[in-house]
Amino acid sequence: MDALLSLSNDLATAVERAAPAVVAVHARRRLPSTGIHWRPGIVVTAEHTVRTAEDITVTMADGRSMPAVLAGRDPGTDLAVLRVADAGSVVATPGDDAALKVGHMVLALGYGPRASWGVISALGPRWRSWRGGDIDRLVRLDLVLYPGFSGGPLVDAAGRVVGLNTSGLARETRLALPVTMVTRVADELLRKGHFSRGYLGLGMQPVRLPAQLGLGDSALIVVMVEPSGPAARAGVLLGDVLVALDGGPVGDLDDVQARLGSDRVGAEIPAVVLRGGVRTELRITVGEQPRRAG
Amino acid sequence: MSAVLAEPVAAAASGLAARLAGITVEVRGHGHGSSAGAPAGAGVVWRADGLILTNAHVARGAVSIVLPDRRVLPARLAARDVEHDLAALVVDATGLSSAEIGDSDALRVGELVLAVGNPLGVVRALSAGLVHATDRRFIQADLRLAPGNSGGPLADARGRVVGLNAMIVGGLAVAVPSREGWRFVQERLGR
Repeated sequence: MDALLSLSNDLATAVERAAPAVVAVHARRRLPSTGIHWRPGIVVTAEHTVRTAEDITVTMADGRSMPAVLAGRDPGTDLAVLRVADAGSVVATPGDDAALKVGHMVLALGYGPRASWGVISALGPRWRSWRGGDIDRLVRLDLVLYPGFSGGPLVDAAGRVVGLNTSGLARETRLALPVTMVTRVADELLRKGHFSRGYLGLGMQPVRLPAQLGLGDSALIVVMVEPSGPAARAGVLLGDVLVALDGGPVGDLDDVQARLGSDRVGAEIPAVVLRGGVRTELRITVGEQPRRAG
Repeated sequence: MSAVLAEPVAAAASGLAARLAGITVEVRGHGHGSSAGAPAGAGVVWRADGLILTNAHVARGAVSIVLPDRRVLPARLAARDVEHDLAALVVDATGLSSAEIGDSDALRVGELVLAVGNPLGVVRALSAGLVHATDRRFIQADLRLAPGNSGGPLADARGRVVGLNAMIVGGLAVAVPSREGWRFVQERLGR
């Protein structure tokens, strides 16, 4: 068969394979967003499209309208998980996001189904969203996310779900959250209702370090210590200069956040501070970031 | 390593582009004043005997047609259907290369489509995209169009014309399905 026709058939087949797990999520006024039937009775979507916690409904791919309950949400990673009773057993087939390469042809799907095509435009390392969440990997898309597409699947040429699309994590940039991360965050949201992040209870600002200390260009000076917070209990004082945490140097707040992932909550980690110019070692038991209201 | 599929895809696409350019005409207003001779849009050679289909909003008055071989011919407006945005033009020519008309009802979401037209005055330019949704009265395609594409062909990966590009809505290409083209020609021209 003609190569273009084969490709066209493959793309249409990819849509047909993925579409039965694509749902409409009615959790805001006017335009619904898209969700993915992840596991039987579990739907994931983009957190920023969930504007109400009550009276949420989901329209399954077969047209059935089902009530949904918000099981958990994490604004930092823009993921929300809904429970839908009797959602059926047709769920998404996950692909291998580690195999993604720049230039791979991909499809974004919205409920309906509706389709948009393009390529992986850039891949990058772990990054921090402006909403404060750690994203495993940057997956930048060169395609149009049409209105209502946020929360829908990024699909590879074989119809497997390799990510969850969102326009809510960066202005003017279309991104996908890698499928392995969606699974991890969704599992934790289902367990706890929220996604935990390590917490020290400190307010800090970057300061320059004199070169002769040999401790790098910059560190963080403590300008606020939360009373009875994790750092306070470990003996951190106002005016301490944090130079290392959990065995690595910290030059800015991103370095600190990078060492306070969900897996560090409850762990005792070493910290090095300069106190009155003297190097002092402490051990901090990492707390869990308090949840914001709403 | 040679590109197993990408090169044949590119070759097939350029072949289709040439075929579609051969059945796409320019529609020009030749009325009065500033619009004289201005490109109004595109059209599809529907039949070899000089029947050309375009959008009603492209063929508002007297127009002339620029054929793929650059001949410029005056066109007679044979029928117009504003509701479906279709118009039939007839030029005095025979033996034209005409479109193979596809079945717009058989389109699948995700299949590739190609558009040819005169976006912003670029004659017989190609755009590629895919079928976005099929649940509407019009075909929606994830494909970049510009003014001047109106009336030109939307074709599937076999090169069969499945629609006439008519509008851009929210960044999507919106095309009149070929099924409407058939119906229009049958009902209004009796054949």
